[in-house]
Amino acid sequence: MARTSNTAKIYLALIFIILYAPILYLIFYSFNSGGSMNNFESFTWEHYAAVFSDTRLIMILINTVIVALLSALIATIIGVFGSIGIVYMRNKSIRNSLLSLNNVLIVSPDVVIGASFLILFTMIGVKLGFASVLISHIAFSIPIVVLMVLPKLQEMNSSLIDAAADLGATKGEILRRVIIPFIKPGIFAGFFMALTYSLDDFAVTFFVTGNGFSTLSVEIYSMARAGITLTINALSGIIFIVTILLVVGYYFINQRGKNPVGMGVRK
Amino acid sequence: MQTKNTKTFYLIPYFAWILLFVIAPIALIAYYSLFDLSGNFTLDNYKNFFTSIYLKLTLSSFWYAFLITFFSLIVAYPTAYLLTKTKHKQLWLLLIIIPSWINLLLKTYAFIGIFGLYGPINAFLNVFGFGETQILFTDFSFIFVSVYIFIPFMILPIFNALDKLNPSLIDASRDLGASSWTTFTKVIFPLTTNGVKAGIQAVFIPSLSLFMITRLIAGNKVITLGTAIEQQFLVTQNWGMGSTIAVFLIIFMVIVMIITGQREKGATSNGKN
Amino acid sequence: MSETPIIRFENVTKYYDAETTVLTDINFELERGKFYTLLGPSGCGKTTILRLIAGFMQPSGGNIYFNGKLINNVPANERQVNTVFQDYALFPHLNVFENVAFGLRIKKLGKQEIQEKVLEALKFVNLSGYENREIAEMSGGQRQRVAIARAIVNDPEIILLDEPLSALDLKLRSEMQYELRELQQRLGKTFIFVTHDQEEALAMSDEIFVLNAGNIEQSGTPMDIYDEPINRFVADFIGESNIVSGTMVADFRVRIGGKEFECVDQGLNPNENIDIVIRPEDLEITTVEKGKMKVKVDTQLFRGVHYELSTYDDEGNEWLVHSTKKAEVGAFIGLDFDPEAIHVMRLNETEEEFDKRLESYGEDAYAN
Repeated sequence: MARTSNTAKIYLALIFIILYAPILYLIFYSFNSGGSMNNFESFTWEHYAAVFSDTRLIMILINTVIVALLSALIATIIGVFGSIGIVYMRNKSIRNSLLSLNNVLIVSPDVVIGASFLILFTMIGVKLGFASVLISHIAFSIPIVVLMVLPKLQEMNSSLIDAAADLGATKGEILRRVIIPFIKPGIFAGFFMALTYSLDDFAVTFFVTGNGFSTLSVEIYSMARAGITLTINALSGIIFIVTILLVVGYYFINQRGKNPVGMGVRK
Repeated sequence: MQTKNTKTFYLIPYFAWILLFVIAPIALIAYYSLFDLSGNFTLDNYKNFFTSIYLKLTLSSFWYAFLITFFSLIVAYPTAYLLTKTKHKQLWLLLIIIPSWINLLLKTYAFIGIFGLYGPINAFLNVFGFGETQILFTDFSFIFVSVYIFIPFMILPIFNALDKLNPSLIDASRDLGASSWTTFTKVIFPLTTNGVKAGIQAVFIPSLSLFMITRLIAGNKVITLGTAIEQQFLVTQNWGMGSTIAVFLIIFMVIVMIITGQREKGATSNGKN
Repeated sequence: MSETPIIRFENVTKYYDAETTVLTDINFELERGKFYTLLGPSGCGKTTILRLIAGFMQPSGGNIYFNGKLINNVPANERQVNTVFQDYALFPHLNVFENVAFGLRIKKLGKQEIQEKVLEALKFVNLSGYENREIAEMSGGQRQRVAIARAIVNDPEIILLDEPLSALDLKLRSEMQYELRELQQRLGKTFIFVTHDQEEALAMSDEIFVLNAGNIEQSGTPMDIYDEPINRFVADFIGESNIVSGTMVADFRVRIGGKEFECVDQGLNPNENIDIVIRPEDLEITTVEKGKMKVKVDTQLFRGVHYELSTYDDEGNEWLVHSTKKAEVGAFIGLDFDPEAIHVMRLNETEEEFDKRLESYGEDAYAN
């Protein structure tokens, strides 16, 4: 046992090193006063200062956060009602086809989603920019919310709803006092997943964004295509910290709910 | 339980979403694939797809996707297995997942530096007397970075399947005289195939359609179906051809999903109920 | 019955589709303040009746009256009925206090009033001091009590209990049987209890309804049903029994196999084919010479209170015997029994005919 566990430890350690090395590498060079990702010259905050003095970049950051928060919020509302509708759908075959339709966007490749949304927006005349990006993010976040909320709803014993009705609750009160509180961990998980999907999305946004509007991912892409700028490194340092905070927040919300929904992973 | 009115009322946005953003886009893609650059109805796009250029592209795209999936699986299975053996497995799993929450672009960008001509890998190789070699813009770098990006998505479903496995099944196998290897091949692996399939699904399909990593890491050396779609839509503005490739990508996706699809029952009966 | 029954079922039927009928023509009346039990195997329709009374489903046909008023279409949340669910259905996101207070909050009672009522209800079920516990921290028996408190706090006219003891272990279950019975008597409310456990039904009820395949087979006090089962099904379901086919030779004479025995039944047709029940505890072990019947002991189990013997007569009928005396496995023994031990059941007799027949025997023949 001891022998295998030693090789096991080395193997796991190697995996963790490989997983984290690139991220730490990025952050490390964000403090490099030299202009490249090799030859560490001396410690500096100048790249961080550059991030915060670049109003265009700050605007893009704010845009990205606004799109993420708004899309996650709206997707959560639509998704929660959608999953309640699916769960209490009496007709089994309609319910199953709804579920399959729900999952289409989760398994579809980003490029296909992006391209098809581009066609859609052009056809119905939505101007490419903030609106098209926001709508796309809502659209691809809804199924994730449904997937996070559905297990919670299915876990809920139907006798709880009977019990609430038995104790005098109307349909609205049942929803407010029993169903929503019960699935709350799923709702939060769904919201957080939607948030990270939105923050992380590149391909769909890349297709449906216009000239005047950009999110962080798209901006980093064009910066990276132009070559190495340590401003990106400084950005990644900031994003890393924010991500860690989000993860910790998500973790605690999951812990608070008795039955964790299970860590989700974005596609 | 609900009356018809209240039911439909709160379901309107959700159904509208299904109609507008699930069904309509697929229909539009199929529709656009039937038109050429000047807007004439034609089947030329489909004819074009079956010329050697696109067939070669499809083949190489599949080959790369296969390699990426294969290496991801090879690395992920032992990792997932060992993770289930750790003390605070949920915490370790979280640590595996965290990197996947860091913006994809940033991680890819990091490799531009790492694999760069003056990056740490070349510096390391230099110590052993290898000259500076161009690692960036090679097949190796493309596959390595892709595997790096996808590995958490392979680990997670396998981990879940292994975690659900009833430990007394392993005891039972040992009790009946099976060696650890036989136990693995006859009990553990068959019971976790659903996790493996889910992982393959999560890696193979996106691998077919990668375009960002190909552009940043592989230069223009590797062309996948994803790159081709992006090229047609955003560079040459040939939406018809782009849609045609997308139609095939969707077909491939459905095939992969059918192959790796799991029966409803199997998903929950990993030996523990 | 001068008082209006609290619940009346009039030709109630329930089916989900053409093939699955759950209830076929159910009729009964329930009096206020009694402990009723619906007893039957799973799938017999007992829970359906409970859900119809609670308002979770509507009957497909017939009428349900509550205090004389038709309630077929009154939704569950407007009925003065509360349910204790099989799995308790306690809200996991609320603590004990809030679970019990749920119904009162829906009614929008004042804070003070809610506080008082909840504490009183918790005291009633011996859970004082547990107000702030989470449901997850409570044991099975305690959850059971919370569920009861949550029902009684609303002061309903009827409390429905859907197999509430089935999740408890044996010891706790018999304790709760006493408590529930005592609680019902203290509250003076109508309890309708659903179970598939005949012992539970016999121990707790004022009146039992035995159900089978969507029909009420028999209703009556526990004593009535145990002593005079109407048919094979009831006899078999209520306790262990020896059920054999026989013939009514004449009044007070039955034939089982080749032998005739004295009994207390009368008024049947001569040579009518019947079923006969003899309870295992009514059979006494004696010598072959003294016994009315000669049987061979096949197996013997020690059950603590008594021995349980499986014996066979010459015709191959199995006779189960509960005895404090031991016997030798493989040996021939005699079985003795009183004429009253023989219960005669006519084939396909309705409950009405059955009751009339028993009444006609008069008190003296039916005294034990």
